[in-house]
Amino acid sequence: MSSHLQQLTPGDPVLSPHAARSTGSGTGVWKHRLKLVFPVLVLGFFTLAAIAPSWLAPFDPLAINPADSFSPPGPGHLLGTDESGRDIYSRIIYGARPSLLIGAAATAIGVGLALILGTLAGFGGRWLDAGVGRILEVLFALPGLLLALVFIALAGPGVGTTIIAVGLTTAPGYARLIRGQLLTLRHSPMVEAATVLGRSRAKILTTHLLPNALTPIAVLGTLGLGQAVVWAASLSFLGLGAPPPAPEWGAMLSAGRTYLSLAWWMTFFPGLAIVLVAAAATVLSRVLNQGEKS
Amino acid sequence: MLAAPLVILSMQEVVQLIHARTLAPRVLTTSAILVASLILAGCSSNPAPAPGASNDAGTPVSGGTLVYASGDAEPSCLDPHVGGNYPQALASSQYLETLYTKDEQGELIPWLASDSTVSEDGLTRTVKIREGIKFTDGTALDAQAVIANFKHLLDPATASSTGYLALGKIKDMKAADSSTLELTLSTPDNSLLESFSMPWVAIQSPEALKRTQEENCVAPVGTGPFKVESWKKQDSVNLVRNADYVRPVANPEHEGPAYLEGITWRFIPEAATRYAALQAGEVQIIDNAQPDTIAAAVKNDTIKHLDAPRPGASNRIELNSSKAPFDDQRVREAFIHAVDVNAGVESLFFNTTKRSYSPLSSVEPLGYSDESLFGFDPAKAAELLDAAGWNERDADGYRTKDGKRLSLTFPVSTSQSVPAEQSLFEQLQATAKESGFEIKINLLDLSSWYGALAEHNYNLVSAPYTKVGPSVLSILFHSASTVPAPSGYFANLSQVKNPELDTLLETAGATKDEAERKDLYAKAQKLVLEGYYLLPLYDQQNHFLYSSKTQGIGATTAVASPVFFDTWLSK
Repeated sequence: MSSHLQQLTPGDPVLSPHAARSTGSGTGVWKHRLKLVFPVLVLGFFTLAAIAPSWLAPFDPLAINPADSFSPPGPGHLLGTDESGRDIYSRIIYGARPSLLIGAAATAIGVGLALILGTLAGFGGRWLDAGVGRILEVLFALPGLLLALVFIALAGPGVGTTIIAVGLTTAPGYARLIRGQLLTLRHSPMVEAATVLGRSRAKILTTHLLPNALTPIAVLGTLGLGQAVVWAASLSFLGLGAPPPAPEWGAMLSAGRTYLSLAWWMTFFPGLAIVLVAAAATVLSRVLNQGEKS
Repeated sequence: MLAAPLVILSMQEVVQLIHARTLAPRVLTTSAILVASLILAGCSSNPAPAPGASNDAGTPVSGGTLVYASGDAEPSCLDPHVGGNYPQALASSQYLETLYTKDEQGELIPWLASDSTVSEDGLTRTVKIREGIKFTDGTALDAQAVIANFKHLLDPATASSTGYLALGKIKDMKAADSSTLELTLSTPDNSLLESFSMPWVAIQSPEALKRTQEENCVAPVGTGPFKVESWKKQDSVNLVRNADYVRPVANPEHEGPAYLEGITWRFIPEAATRYAALQAGEVQIIDNAQPDTIAAAVKNDTIKHLDAPRPGASNRIELNSSKAPFDDQRVREAFIHAVDVNAGVESLFFNTTKRSYSPLSSVEPLGYSDESLFGFDPAKAAELLDAAGWNERDADGYRTKDGKRLSLTFPVSTSQSVPAEQSLFEQLQATAKESGFEIKINLLDLSSWYGALAEHNYNLVSAPYTKVGPSVLSILFHSASTVPAPSGYFANLSQVKNPELDTLLETAGATKDEAERKDLYAKAQKLVLEGYYLLPLYDQQNHFLYSSKTQGIGATTAVASPVFFDTWLSK
């Protein structure tokens, strides 16, 4: 999962914001804006769902109606009902909040932790770089989901633990990226100029290095948001997230798999929601990246 | 779990696909969603049923290996004396046999025993052991062998739970001669022969029992139609035919050994995967079949259904009467009227089971049932809760008393309940909320679940208990059962401690008069039902689905576990 983060090197286009590419023509701008339509619509819709689910959902996500169980998608229930007659569409809408919240909070923790580790490694001198580097390598050696599972096994399941687990797991990727950025920037003419002018190291870090390193982080963070949503859903799917019958996409996917041959909609639509959010975040990050370059 | 990672992986792959830089992003986004849809849709379509399946039984043919797929947890020991749970009974019914068993009519009949009598005072039971039977290691079955088994069961080092409890009244035993066993009892026990019919009290080779527990767990030795050849842990147990098998009670239609050469006993915990394996012909029989797949299977002629309800207790929820709020009978009664069980059983179980109103399974002839106590009646629940002082509501709509919420903790063992049952619990949670009860469902693995029970950290709990005969009532409701057994488990989960009930159960278990026994057990059941200590849900489920090419399935032990002696595979 984190392979796209691990494989990035400072020479990568994502990490070279100043490697200009000419996309500034009129049609280019239009193409650029068109690409924003899909992610903005999807993320906008689910963000609205997370903020005010009752505006979008016609039913109470927990209200049961056994007489109406396993109804296929149709006029009464847009995306069908589950084994207890709960409305799938309403549950997906209410599920947006935990899913996006876990995704956003986990990414924030991952990036925050990475900033500290990456700065220490990239700007703290040779020994710190070596020390932090080894820690990151150890973390990379463990598959991400395994690391999250170990953390949950130690701390117990729940929404809070899931956020921290996913955050911890994504941190090494961001940290290595920040380190790489700082190392590249340290030898750039502007930093050399600042050093010659006698600026303090702290001043150089805050005014020159971090702002420049953060742009690609913002791009990757958006990408990571989608990834974190998928991870959170995976953990809930395994029964390590929100307890039943809370509407949560991964948990819905898990509940539906028992009835896969009877009621495909119980699995398909929560799965589609996860795919849409992950895809939208990915497209958005790509567009942001290209916008950055132009 | 096989289907699960498939879906997750496909998501991961989709995300990675989007990340691939070689293709145009727009095309990718669309195709990624398409791929995801296809993968998900692919999961939901069934493999086509195998054509040409015939329902003709025809003449049995010998040979072939039956592949059995179990959804139960893999036993940690194949010797059902150790611990004693249902997965062990299912497997060991193929290689171990019992002193008594039940015939097709449900009558108790001697099996490895040939006869039994009891003294006038009920304190001495004489059991005649059948002669000429040999264990698969060549040891002969005799009275001494049975004594070695009973000693093994009663030895605390064996850590037997089910078998240990069943033999609890035996004080002394001796072999009067090689085929006569004399048991001295501490109190008369009219359920002893029923206990002898359970796989947890099955008879093993005394020579094999002399080995270490570790060795015996891997390959118990019995007299059954099959024997344990090997056990590949986390995968399967390999059983082979006992070529020298002699059925203790002759069946003229099937003499000699089993038709099958062997049985591969596999463990596939994920229900959908297990069913898919059956549809694909990879396995021939599965247990723990899900209600929706049973409903689908009976409609096609390539898969058949065996419904074998277990004896013992019904599936029920116990209400812990030893602590608040259920120490107040009015609150217990209110809870029972606040939940709508029928709607859930009807919608979730696809007519594969019926609602129960009894503490006992439908196959127990002495079961007592009273439907009138268990109506869904929120108005009555409200009345009772008001009277009990739970008359305020908090912001979430839950009732409160002295500022405390009417909250119930409900630990649920994920390995002991099927998904449909967990959905039923969620439905009870939703209907109870309307009457102001908060139910906190905690899904736990088996050891955490035992832990929660040991700490008395529960108000509601559902635990299956399989036993032959009504004496299961003593295990579940006698005050002595509130004391943990050597294994740490206590079966009286409703924590009912009632001297009148204790006396009823003791007298019912000791009497020699069958009519009196029935009457006393009925009174005991009436008492626990009317005290609202339990909420009966439905029968203990025991559904098997098998390929229609598999013939001769239907024979079961006294605990309704199938025996594959008569089973054969048609071409």
